[in-house]
Amino acid sequence: MDVFLQTLVAGVLKGGLYALIGIGMTLIMGVMGIINLAHGQLMMVAMYITYILHVAGVDPYISLFVAMPALFLLGCVIQRYLLNPLLKVETILPENQVLMTVGIGMVLTEVVRFIFKSDYKSVSTDYSNATFFLGNISFSVALTISFLIAIAFTVAMFFFLIKTDIGRSIRATAQDKDAAVLMGVNTGRITIVTFGLGSALVAAAGSLLAPVFYVFPDIGGPFTARAFIITILGGLGSTVGAIFGGVTLGLAESFGATYISMDYENIIGMTIFVLVLLFLPGGFKRLTKV
Amino acid sequence: MVFALVLSMLLINAAEAANIKVGIVLPLTGEQAKFGEIEKRSFQMAAEEINAKGGVNGNKLELLFEDDTGKPDVGRSAVEKLISREKVPVLTGAYSSSVTAAITAVAQQFKVPFLVTTGSADEVTEKKYDYVFRINPPASEYPSAVISFLQDVVKPRTAVILFENSLFGQSSSKSFEADCNKMGIKVLTKEGYNKGAVDFKPLLTKVKAQNPDLVYMVSYVMDAALLMRQAKELNFNPKVYIGGGAGFTLPEFQKNAGPAAEYVYSATLWVESVPYPGAMDYFKRYRAKYKEDTEYHGAEAYASLYVVADALKRAKSITPKDVRDALAATNMMTAFGPVKFVSYGKKTQQNKLPTFMVQWQKGSLETVWPKEVAKKKYVFPVPEWSKRK
Repeated sequence: MDVFLQTLVAGVLKGGLYALIGIGMTLIMGVMGIINLAHGQLMMVAMYITYILHVAGVDPYISLFVAMPALFLLGCVIQRYLLNPLLKVETILPENQVLMTVGIGMVLTEVVRFIFKSDYKSVSTDYSNATFFLGNISFSVALTISFLIAIAFTVAMFFFLIKTDIGRSIRATAQDKDAAVLMGVNTGRITIVTFGLGSALVAAAGSLLAPVFYVFPDIGGPFTARAFIITILGGLGSTVGAIFGGVTLGLAESFGATYISMDYENIIGMTIFVLVLLFLPGGFKRLTKV
Repeated sequence: MVFALVLSMLLINAAEAANIKVGIVLPLTGEQAKFGEIEKRSFQMAAEEINAKGGVNGNKLELLFEDDTGKPDVGRSAVEKLISREKVPVLTGAYSSSVTAAITAVAQQFKVPFLVTTGSADEVTEKKYDYVFRINPPASEYPSAVISFLQDVVKPRTAVILFENSLFGQSSSKSFEADCNKMGIKVLTKEGYNKGAVDFKPLLTKVKAQNPDLVYMVSYVMDAALLMRQAKELNFNPKVYIGGGAGFTLPEFQKNAGPAAEYVYSATLWVESVPYPGAMDYFKRYRAKYKEDTEYHGAEAYASLYVVADALKRAKSITPKDVRDALAATNMMTAFGPVKFVSYGKKTQQNKLPTFMVQWQKGSLETVWPKEVAKKKYVFPVPEWSKRK
């Protein structure tokens, strides 16, 4: 029983973090139809910002307030100067924005490697290894906090999209770009803001992950892949769906590791991905309706 | 005018002829670049020393580095380039086992001698390639010091083996399982994981429930650190944790694992305090030059170039065939230990070396076994996590 509960806890906590990584991507994908394959690499950049501030003596939870605006700006710049111009170009490949994001991801990785070399960095804080026990079940303090923050951000995003003007404009752009333009929405600006927001959210995930994981130029790739799976599981553009998607992936990986073998971690994620595409093509969004 | 041109070309040719090219393939970017960098710096240090002392019979060594990025296919084309375009008479380097396995095949096909520096999976020297040599002992022999330590001190009855699912991890874990069977230790679980995993807790929870005496892990540096940190978080207390080479001896392991690194044992091939001439000198000079610590991978690279230079000195001519024959006759002492290529079992042209046991004590890595070279007494039994300060 302890083994089961411990697996459950590990899966849910990891899932919260995954959800935060996924929300940013789902937002960008839902609004612009761009699969941002530089998503994990943006998170990596945020982790390096957290690392630099950590060396300067700033706590990772404080550096959240630096990493998020920094990545918001980086996201806006990428969208404004690298992705928007591609919208106007007619090519045989309608998805060349996607290809562009792959390139951006590589450039980010190599630029960071050029600056920091391929050394492993760690952001070790007092609470990096701290745990508390409920019965025999151990909870990682850092992961529990990041889980709560992830939930808070998701709720905030949800209300932002439902209640505010910009949020409504984002949803309008996602639903029908031409209609949104006719209704007076500056869709060009909305896409820029959305990419910035998506980047800021994944930056938050990066800052939260830094104390429990390690920092390295190449860690972006696997997280891009996970964000992609979560986005599909949750349904495009659905923040609530991203939470379900993230936790589902976290749980699947944990239970797979305990009851099958940790060797199959990636296979399990992909299997769920395929099953959802086959039987629930709209993702969990179809079930939750938001 | 034409005469001047011809003359200058002749001069350039003459200048080139004085250099002997050595092709070196290493992961200089990508996930394994950390090790590639340590090895590259050590190769350069050795080249500077050799050239300063007159090079190889008056000719300077010229190192040509190629980046394999940690991928076998990239390594393959890098070696093909070195052989066909640069016409190198000898190759060395090679870090990861999967890349090494791919590129030794190319070297054999073109008949260019290749001294493998690391690439430690057993298979590398089990293919009867007569142009492939290896200075690093095969992965299956890493635990030789561990085995005597287990038999003399720990006397465990059950074991769990965790390994990263790479050629190196599979090869090492398979042979350690066989060693356990020989020693009468029951292997409760032998399980792989994909490197770069975020969360080892489910895996550790499962093996904790089996209550093993010994946990043996074959992991790179950051997986190693996470495994230990999360084992501490779970308050998982086997009698000993032992790392089977690779990541557990690096300074980054201790930096990242922090207090969770304490008392962890590891097998290693080389520590700076080994009783080989030049070992400590190499360590000190590396630290003075690069302001960073080095470890066994660097020592291997450093020794590799000395072995290559020695073979080039003895070779009848600088052609791949003659260099191969000279390498095969190698019998010398290096900072990494004695080097002599022998064939035994399924292996050919393989260097044999003893291994050592180290333990993290108060944040520094101490050699604790075998007793002849031990600098500190091993800490055993290891205190439980919850009873430490």
